Amino acid sequence: MILIGELSLWVALLMATWGTTVGFAGGFSRRAELIASAERASYATFGFVALAAVGLWTALLRSDFSFRYVASYTSANLPSIYKFTAFWAGQSGSLLLWAFILSGYSAIAVYTNRSRNRELMPYVTATLSAITLFFVMTLCFGSNPYERLDWIPPDGTGLNPQLQNPGMAIHPPNLYLGYIGTAIPFAFAIAALITRKLDAGWLSAVRRWTLISWFFNTTGIILGMWWAYVELGWGGYWAWDPVENASFLPWLVNTAFLHSIMVQEKRGMLRKWNVTLVVSAFLLAILGTFITRSGVISSVHSFAQSSVGYWFLGFLVIAFAVTVYLVSTRLHDLESKAELESLVSREASFLFNNLLLVGIAFAVLWGTLFPILSEAVTNNKITVGPPFFNKVNIPLGLALLALTGIGPLIAWRRASLENLKRQFTAPVLAGVTTGAALLAVGMRDVPALIAYTLCGFVTGTIVQEFWKGVGARRRMYKENPVTALLRLVARNRRRYGGYIVHVGIVILFAAFAGLAFKEEFDVTLKGGDTYEATDPYGNQWRFVSQGVSRYEELNRQTTAVLLDAYRNGKQVGVIKTEKRQYTDSRGVPTFQPATEVGIMEGVREDVYVVLAGVVGEDTAEMRITFNPLVWWVWYGGMIMAAGGLIVMWPQAERRRAQAGYSTVLQPATHT
Amino acid sequence: MDRRRFLAAASASVALLAIPRRARAQEEGPQVNTGAANAPMESERYKPVQLAAKGPPIMDTNARDALEHHLHCQCGCNLDVYTCRTTDFSCEVSPAMHKDVMALVSGGYSAPEIMNAFTVVYGDRVLMAPPSSGFDLAAWIAPFGALGAGIALVVLLLRRWHAPAVALAAIHPVAGDATPGEQARLDALVHRDDR
Repeated sequence: MILIGELSLWVALLMATWGTTVGFAGGFSRRAELIASAERASYATFGFVALAAVGLWTALLRSDFSFRYVASYTSANLPSIYKFTAFWAGQSGSLLLWAFILSGYSAIAVYTNRSRNRELMPYVTATLSAITLFFVMTLCFGSNPYERLDWIPPDGTGLNPQLQNPGMAIHPPNLYLGYIGTAIPFAFAIAALITRKLDAGWLSAVRRWTLISWFFNTTGIILGMWWAYVELGWGGYWAWDPVENASFLPWLVNTAFLHSIMVQEKRGMLRKWNVTLVVSAFLLAILGTFITRSGVISSVHSFAQSSVGYWFLGFLVIAFAVTVYLVSTRLHDLESKAELESLVSREASFLFNNLLLVGIAFAVLWGTLFPILSEAVTNNKITVGPPFFNKVNIPLGLALLALTGIGPLIAWRRASLENLKRQFTAPVLAGVTTGAALLAVGMRDVPALIAYTLCGFVTGTIVQEFWKGVGARRRMYKENPVTALLRLVARNRRRYGGYIVHVGIVILFAAFAGLAFKEEFDVTLKGGDTYEATDPYGNQWRFVSQGVSRYEELNRQTTAVLLDAYRNGKQVGVIKTEKRQYTDSRGVPTFQPATEVGIMEGVREDVYVVLAGVVGEDTAEMRITFNPLVWWVWYGGMIMAAGGLIVMWPQAERRRAQAGYSTVLQPATHT
Repeated sequence: MDRRRFLAAASASVALLAIPRRARAQEEGPQVNTGAANAPMESERYKPVQLAAKGPPIMDTNARDALEHHLHCQCGCNLDVYTCRTTDFSCEVSPAMHKDVMALVSGGYSAPEIMNAFTVVYGDRVLMAPPSSGFDLAAWIAPFGALGAGIALVVLLLRRWHAPAVALAAIHPVAGDATPGEQARLDALVHRDDR
């Protein structure tokens, strides 16, 4: 199987080359047999890349240390689940995962469009084959997972302990599914630009794929945050690391597109902008991969410096040049069919929402790349870390949160003063009440107060929208409130699914603002010692050390400390924090000692304990942190994902038409 | 050489070969939170930052920790001094930098003075954010400048779009001539499309 996998990679290279060539040739010459051949090549490429992936998994699970990749990322005593996930632990394996997902996506896109978008499909197929070709070529010539060692080591190096975590098992595939999902809309955009079929047709195909990409990107980012929080031990979940930033950029641009596409569907506007967003999301995904793999920017969890990064840079330059050429020669075809009539309109609010999302994306990209620019200009090394990103992005993020509440309240085209008063009264009241209540209970942190006031406002908007919708259904169909709510969402999935995503956003912002009240304590305790602390809510905590214990597990030696935790005099649990020294099957230490964080989770706050070290036999040095509202980050993320699923869920064309998404509103001056 | 000796010699050779191979293999892996732990010659990255005491302390522990969030640990990680010293317990640089911060705090220096002292010794790379002077000021200006330019562009476009519409309306004044019934039907249509 391993040999078949190795050979399959080379056959996939041939298949992708063939698919690219005959796809473009078929499209330009309009020869049906060539187009059909390109589509079959797309399926075949997927098949061969899948075989290559199965081959590598087989080698990993069999601990075949004759392969450099297997020896580098696994050891004989590594649990099987992590042997499986070691597939994406290293450079070449993760590139193979890229190729695997991309070829799978391509095959699905070709299959689901076998009787739709036929004029676009030759170019879509060819573009996707070209991207797959690039990845398979990089695998074959730049970073081959099937590279053999000229000797067989007795055991492998093992997997980095911080990757031995369930979060790391599922976070990278999710993120890759999101990243690679941007390739399909990109291919459709390229096809639409080549054929000049730039009407709403290509958008419907693109929208669903963008949603898929957005959904996986969202879940990938949230899972990555969770992994960082439970595994890295610094007490937070987002550090504005270049690799984190790289994952955030396509998400921001996709989110902008999912809003602005509505303006094009409704008003025929923002056509150039939408094409730009679609291609930018893909190019940013490639740029992110370049950042991760080239080593040009220092990151806490990037791959080691290698030439592969420059393959990506070359690909990025080519893709960018092709895109710029196509867009610049099709500007006339991308002219808007309508014009913005008022700044106080739904479309204007979407436009400002887009500006902010793209502005944040620019700020993140700028901050990520600025150290290179600064060094090139001033020959002086600088760091652009969380203080910069927080200072720049917090005001932009709060403005975006405000627009999340404002947008749905404003009518399309032009809102009247009366309409604005009617729509805004309740949400503004909700926001002001929230802010005033928090001020009254003693909250004095200004950014947090603004954030919670805006959260109240956006929540007011969402509740009002649901309230009105449910009320209308109850009046029209005499339904009970629950049925009315369920049917309201089911019949208008895009609109109300979107509001559910907004609920998730509100929860996330509320949780982020909670970090302003984080409290940390450095503690040294012997067995039986007690430490008392007050949390941000004013609760009195007492921690009693049960002492230090040392024991061996499957592939590690563990030093653990148990703390009995008491809140206001009542025992609420036991927190265990560990320091682990991983070893290979011969008991040889493989990595630096890793810390396993002890977390007592709660709706109001987490108690987060990190074992710094052990002095003597029984004295533990620890950091105890009260992290307010962290729980809500994960649940806000889940709600966003659930909302995304509702929006994605297929809806019959008739109902979509009823819901207004096939309607293009004509400009008022034409009526 | 008997078989046992041969095997022993062969094992030793394999072990010797294995060490550099293992090291090289690991270099190609994802470097998760490495920084301090893997950085060579850590001690050379630390430079003492010392000033004579000038008075009683004027900063409390929280202010000191906040200050350490703005100083970049020089061990090779991407973390600030506070986060590194409380996260990566194998790092020797962040505790040393922390000691310097504590000494300066005890010596009565303020946060800007301490930041300045560190910048003099290490250069701007010791700061977690670009300085707001010289070329690096561009880091701070560009995001807001770009956003401002975007907003200006939208307003400009709106004016350009709006002008012909207003002119057309002056010739064929239709916008405000809808009867209440027509307006109600239009509102209903818009409301329906909103769904």
